[in-house]
Amino acid sequence: MNFEEAIRLTEILVGFAFIQQSLEHLKSFSNEKFIFLPRLMLSIVLVTGFYTSWILILLFILSLVMLYRFQGPYNGGADRMSLLILICLLLTHLASNQYWKEVAFGYLALQLVLSYFISGWVKIVNPDWRNGRALRDVFEYSAYPVSQSLRAWSKSPRLLLIMSWLVMLFELIFPFSLFSQHTLIIALVVAAGFHFANACLFGLDRFFWIWIAAYPSIFWFQLRLSFIM
Amino acid sequence: MFHLFKLLLPAILPSWNFFDVIAPSPRIQFSLLDSKNKIVADWSEFRPRIKNLSLKQMFLRIFWNPVWNESLFMLSCAERIMENPTEHSELEILDRIKRDLLNNPTINSDLQLQFRLEVIERQNNKLIQTICFHSRIVPLKLSEGSV
Repeated sequence: MNFEEAIRLTEILVGFAFIQQSLEHLKSFSNEKFIFLPRLMLSIVLVTGFYTSWILILLFILSLVMLYRFQGPYNGGADRMSLLILICLLLTHLASNQYWKEVAFGYLALQLVLSYFISGWVKIVNPDWRNGRALRDVFEYSAYPVSQSLRAWSKSPRLLLIMSWLVMLFELIFPFSLFSQHTLIIALVVAAGFHFANACLFGLDRFFWIWIAAYPSIFWFQLRLSFIM
Repeated sequence: MFHLFKLLLPAILPSWNFFDVIAPSPRIQFSLLDSKNKIVADWSEFRPRIKNLSLKQMFLRIFWNPVWNESLFMLSCAERIMENPTEHSELEILDRIKRDLLNNPTINSDLQLQFRLEVIERQNNKLIQTICFHSRIVPLKLSEGSV
């Protein structure tokens, strides 16, 4: 995947993710529709690929309006990743030369790697994660499990201990997947499966779509690294 | 402008510390009161979790999940209140409870509404529940322009 293809694919994926998010708001309060109806239309145009720089500028301005309206992100980390992708795409379009375009898009790939590695690191330094207690607490009393029946998983400590270690180890070794395209593809399939499970079990569906939208950047980044090395 | 930059900064330099600690978890409970602020409907959990969700329902929610995503936003507002109460977070929660209740035709819209936050946390291997916040009491009728 070359640089231009990776950029275009990111625009399409993020456009679809924004379309889905915006549609969900259209039945909400009228002062939300004023933000999400234009966002829906701009996202459709983003997918088609017309006037992309202008569309990205307008989407960025709308994202600032959203931040002000909700006094922060509407859906935490998913909205932050949305905004990060948007900013990196915008800078890629506005940059004056190829070097700065690649720096902007490479920053997105770097943050994607860090999103896994740091998440793994902050867990493994916490004894509650290492002994499985943290994941048990997530199922037992956190607000995330999507149904009451899922809370029963907290009664399976051995399973949750294994799951905790699998998650932590995967997140920590993720940067090593950049060594080859094959390992990267395997890592991204596992990562997408991880987000899929989080979407099903904890209703974090927006994370699933928006993290996948950032994957083209890391595909390109891995190729770019292999050229340098 | 500086406030907006402060809101934007975590997107430019994200921390990515998801689930580093399992923080105390708030639940939103609401009550209906009459004109003399006397409780007429006792505290109930707002949008309690459904008992079971089939695999198919879980899968479909990946494509369409507006109510749950709104509940996650209300959870963020509740966490913001626990950290530092603001009028914005309080009103966001109140408006969304009002809208849901007014969709129920059996509810008398002349009543008043209040919500509270119950916090569940683990202390010494036991789950402890405490009430940490009571909202202002507001008429159940939606304010102009909010629907």
